[in-house]
Amino acid sequence: MARNLVLAVSVVAIVGVAAFWWLTAPLTIAQMQLPPRLSVPAKGLTVFNAAGCSSCHATLGQPDRTKLGGGLAIPSPFGTFHVPNISPDPVDGIGRWSEADFVTAVIEGTSPAGAHYYPAFPYGSYQHARLDDIRDLFAYLKTLPAVSGRAPGHELPFPFNIRRAVGIWKLLFLDGKPFTPDPGRSSQWNRGAYLVNSLGHCAECHSPRNGLGGIVEAQRFAGGPNPEGEGWVPNITQKGLKDWSEEDLAYFLETGTTPNNDSAGGSMARVIRNTSQLSAADRAAMAAYLKSLPAVDGPPRPPRPPRKNG
Amino acid sequence: MLFRGVLAGALLLSAGAVMAQQDLAVQQDNLMRTQAKYLYGVISRTVRGQSPYDQAAIDAALVQLEESVGKIATVFAVNPKEDVFGGDYGSSPKIWQNKADFDSKIPPVTKAINDAKGKIKDVASLKAAYTEINDRCNDCHETYRLKLR
Repeated sequence: MARNLVLAVSVVAIVGVAAFWWLTAPLTIAQMQLPPRLSVPAKGLTVFNAAGCSSCHATLGQPDRTKLGGGLAIPSPFGTFHVPNISPDPVDGIGRWSEADFVTAVIEGTSPAGAHYYPAFPYGSYQHARLDDIRDLFAYLKTLPAVSGRAPGHELPFPFNIRRAVGIWKLLFLDGKPFTPDPGRSSQWNRGAYLVNSLGHCAECHSPRNGLGGIVEAQRFAGGPNPEGEGWVPNITQKGLKDWSEEDLAYFLETGTTPNNDSAGGSMARVIRNTSQLSAADRAAMAAYLKSLPAVDGPPRPPRPPRKNG
Repeated sequence: MLFRGVLAGALLLSAGAVMAQQDLAVQQDNLMRTQAKYLYGVISRTVRGQSPYDQAAIDAALVQLEESVGKIATVFAVNPKEDVFGGDYGSSPKIWQNKADFDSKIPPVTKAINDAKGKIKDVASLKAAYTEINDRCNDCHETYRLKLR
């Protein structure tokens, strides 16, 4: 009897582990899945700016946006992430990566070694990117200077340090669908929708997250507490931006200046450094799309500034 | 009786301290608002074509902006430890944890203002100067300014 019980428990455990392993297998994209194509680094520059790569990956403490040595620490409710080097350095960066390695990393959130990246790397948005855009981006990154040096490892307490478990997170919160244009909308709106939802990854900060760190889809773009710690991320649906015109939004993305004569702060200052480099047409497209978002109530804002404890 | 007097005194003192902190927060907020008035209310509005180009107003705004920027380090010398009541924005406590770094963000703003002087003749040159100055403001806001709500 006892032997049977041990046997039953063992079988359940083995099936459970096997199921976990199977469910959490990192997805990859093979080179043979990428049709032959000549990538265009100049187009990759636009992708680089739209995707805000340098916001996190630029070498810390220097102004050159093209030195991608990483090192930024990103605090979160799950621990602190340290941004890796994505410069073409063969040892510390992505110099030895194949194109398929890179596409897999950005679209699937899987490293060349076959491990999950943590979703602090916003592949939840990048998964919607066009393959050709990511291939052009890779070609552009290859033209940038190699920077040596590695960031320290992430500081994550148990159980968040189990990378394999990110596979479950991906099952819960990723749909793996590329962006599909809405034929009922203008090409400008569709360009904006693509930039905002995919490369621009605006929803990653401008949406509240649930206890597992997944975006609350019903409140997408409705703002919430800053996941990086202090402060509040604004609602960018028409609930928060109804007084902003499209031109106001485009000017904000260019300069960081708001229509009520104020300025962007926090991580948005880094975002503006990227969007200011985009074409006026791309900024106008993002503005047109954002202006079309229906008003959605976000989490309740703090009623008034709380006392600080220095 | 004595006890009640001490209590009342303590209450008054702490109320005074709260007032002083709030005054300080308001003072810091007002300094920033003064700069916003010149940089955004005058210069940015002209860049956007919302105000007509007025050389005298631009030149005056630059002078006043520079004067106000020169006060940041002293006006922000002490941490008020609270935000302006009802405010949407506040200062990060990081200012007073890294005051030297905070102060080091100011000279680049002053330099951008000085570099712009005498070079602004039309909307195009104003826009170039505005971008240069405003980007230096944003460099500091990135780390030290908080959106509270």
